[in-house]
Amino acid sequence: MNQRLRIVKTILWGLVGVLGVVTIARFINGLGPTTGLSDAAPWGFWIAFDVMAGVALAAGGFVLVATVYIFGLERYRPFVRPAILTAFLGYAAVATGLLYDLGLPWNIWHPMIFPQHHSVLFEVAMCVMLYLTVLALEFAPVVLEHGWFGHPLFRTVLGLVKRFTIVLVIAGIVLSTLHQSSLGSLFLIAPFRLHALWYSPVIYVLFFISAIGLGLMTVAMESLISGWLLGHKIRTDLLSGLGKAASFVLGLYCIVRLGDLAVRGVLGSAFNGSWHATLFLFEICICALVPAILLSMRRVRTSITGLTICSSMTIIGMILNRFSVCILAFDRPLAMSYFPTWIELAVSLGIVAGAALIFLFFVENLKVYSEEDESDAHSVGTSSGFNPGAFHDLMPESVAGPRRYSLVLVAAASMAVFLLPDAAVLGEQSVSTPVLGVRTVEGVKVKDSNGGGVEFMLASAQTKGKSIPLMMIDGNRDGRLVFFPHENHVKELGNDNSCQQCHHQNMPFDKNTSCFQCHSDMYEASDIFSHDSHIKHMEGNEGCVKCHDDPTQVKSRQTAKACQQCHSDMIAADTFRARPAKALVGMATGYMNAMHGLCIDCHERKIKEKPGEYSANFARCDTCHGDPANADLHGAGPYSLQLVKSAKP
Amino acid sequence: MNTVAILTDITKCTGCESCVSACRVENQLGPDKAQRQSHAIDDLSSTRHTTILRRPGDHFVRQQCRHCTEPACVSACLVGAMQKTPEGPVVYDKKKCMGCRYCMVACPYGIPRYDWDKAIPYVHKCTMCYQRINDDKMPACTIACPEKATIFGTRDEMLKIARQRLKDSPNKYVQKIYGETEVGGTNVLYISDIPLDFLGCKPDMGDTAMPELTWAALSKVPPVILGMGGLMSGIYWIIGRRMKMQELEAAVVTSGSEEKE
Repeated sequence: MNQRLRIVKTILWGLVGVLGVVTIARFINGLGPTTGLSDAAPWGFWIAFDVMAGVALAAGGFVLVATVYIFGLERYRPFVRPAILTAFLGYAAVATGLLYDLGLPWNIWHPMIFPQHHSVLFEVAMCVMLYLTVLALEFAPVVLEHGWFGHPLFRTVLGLVKRFTIVLVIAGIVLSTLHQSSLGSLFLIAPFRLHALWYSPVIYVLFFISAIGLGLMTVAMESLISGWLLGHKIRTDLLSGLGKAASFVLGLYCIVRLGDLAVRGVLGSAFNGSWHATLFLFEICICALVPAILLSMRRVRTSITGLTICSSMTIIGMILNRFSVCILAFDRPLAMSYFPTWIELAVSLGIVAGAALIFLFFVENLKVYSEEDESDAHSVGTSSGFNPGAFHDLMPESVAGPRRYSLVLVAAASMAVFLLPDAAVLGEQSVSTPVLGVRTVEGVKVKDSNGGGVEFMLASAQTKGKSIPLMMIDGNRDGRLVFFPHENHVKELGNDNSCQQCHHQNMPFDKNTSCFQCHSDMYEASDIFSHDSHIKHMEGNEGCVKCHDDPTQVKSRQTAKACQQCHSDMIAADTFRARPAKALVGMATGYMNAMHGLCIDCHERKIKEKPGEYSANFARCDTCHGDPANADLHGAGPYSLQLVKSAKP
Repeated sequence: MNTVAILTDITKCTGCESCVSACRVENQLGPDKAQRQSHAIDDLSSTRHTTILRRPGDHFVRQQCRHCTEPACVSACLVGAMQKTPEGPVVYDKKKCMGCRYCMVACPYGIPRYDWDKAIPYVHKCTMCYQRINDDKMPACTIACPEKATIFGTRDEMLKIARQRLKDSPNKYVQKIYGETEVGGTNVLYISDIPLDFLGCKPDMGDTAMPELTWAALSKVPPVILGMGGLMSGIYWIIGRRMKMQELEAAVVTSGSEEKE
């Protein structure tokens, strides 16, 4: 084995190790903690790269098969087996990638039993599934030729597959035509979201032509890589033929794409200098225009450098095209940005690395390449002299390889564990939203502009009347606040003896604890029970039974006595507060829940008690929230800016 | 066929969010959570199927699923988890769903929401309280509304009421029933004194139903199968025959030259 191959394999094993770790995180904790996806960007890197680009990159299989079997161009036969193997592994990688992206991957077989033939995605799913089977059968002879499969049954299968090759070939071409184009049709449903430079009524034609061009260039790239890596002879004569064909196809792609823009009358917007226009020009130049021109020159397409540059450009350009359609030019009306997390990249890279390792396994153990191609193999990189630092010189070759790869696998996996974000390990964490106390401001009482009731607003030069203290209740300081006239409530509820009706009295020597001291998170319940302080005041271990009174039960918070059984004075008889359920012992509910529970409960009670004095609206949200006269102070909500932005024509 | 519909009159809404609370109770959505993704957008989330958008100048616009007459999400779903019921509401069957989220990509109003924080996630959206409509009851939000700003009835009735209101106070309203014809018509209608263009992905979305766009491509599948299959078989046959002829010719030529010698 040569040095280059060893290094490449080491890297691939490392990527697979990382994949193993992130796979566990992804399936235990779901998509939210591990990806950058959101309601505004439901499709991200995995769909764009693993599925859209993956399928297009694997188009080499059907293009080469058609060239050799249908058009009878026998000289390209050496490319067929590697191309079919790449396509097969490519589609297997697409399916694997999809399992990560699907929210409910165990239902992936549902399209078979719940078909919905109006869905483009249904057609894609069925075609990909069938084509994966066709590719497996097309590749089967390579595996079955091996000595392991000497059993007569395998011989019969081999005979059958060989006999019906042409049927498989035609089925494969039809299926590929359908789903390569349909991946484009998927986006026909989103005319308002996909930018006009990409959204075309004939997007499926563009996807199909680009897949053929890309397929040809991927086969060329693959041949160049196997030449570099495995030392196979690079057949420049054949590759130049592929290059010539690709130059025609990519040229056709440019004509159709630009022609389509011209017909739809949006060609002008490709040159208006906007971000989308720049992206479009860059994309079409590197994916088709420049490679088509370069490859039309004989000098370029017969040189290894020329071919390498052209195929890299096409591959990168076409991947970029799929990214544009899926992410970059796909408008998110909710104005949220999407950026993939490293976990998403690690999954995609890991799957590709795994597929590459399987490819190398097949190449090493089966006859994927023809004899004459392999004649030059094993000559690269092995001629280097003695290297005292090299790992493989210290132990026999057969042991060095596996050991090195296992070591890298484990090292990469453990590195990945350390790099995982908290959420990916522990699951989606609730965002803590600390609550701040109320602020008291000068306010005035005014008559409600809509008639009926009173309203409170900030005192200013314009306001008239006596100023009173107003509490601004805005626990998380998001600007959506409630003016609370504390004094009025005190007066209404019975002056000095009314505190306990709303306030707890559980802080030592306290009559009216501020709400935010215990309800310290806006949304989440917080723990307010101090076990240590109870131990201290109840003579250490002897005090356990005072609360954990049932010896048959495990001593836990749920099985202990309720707080008010001892602290009877904590809850007054005339309180409005809801009595805590047993399950919530020692926990203070979120600030928002506490406020809503207390205020709405009491307001509802007041309507019932004095229906004449209080209107039916008294317990509704806008009694406290939303003060039209001071709308700017209340803020327009967290969404206002973004919605105004997207509302622009 | 006469389907049911919700008509929301923006001029009557006071933004009290009673509909939001009623929805929360009826659909057992649980408490509103501070989620990483949800509050940054328009406040719809997997635990909030309807919400009130505040617009400048004390306008309150209720955001919810439009229940399109020809829904994009239903045509997009490859397993039929999204279904348009004969009564009008678009409902979701979580047992069929495989989590591809194509419905979220397809919706022209960007309505469906996802359980991003769960390991077993589902799609969430308003179902017009389909379980209640089946029992001849009204959706929870329309009952809860104290101002009768959002009302429920057959689509024809709602259109009639809407037209009547537009006619009665022509200066108050924008002379348009939002949802009457947009994207093929919807079962949630709005009348308003401010333009509601901001609710969709683009201000003017036209009257074409979304499913027609993909069906134009999808209906070409059978011809493509026959055409491509026929073409490939034909080319294979012709080229195979030509090669055979060439071989025969070559054989004749060589045998002829041998004879001469």
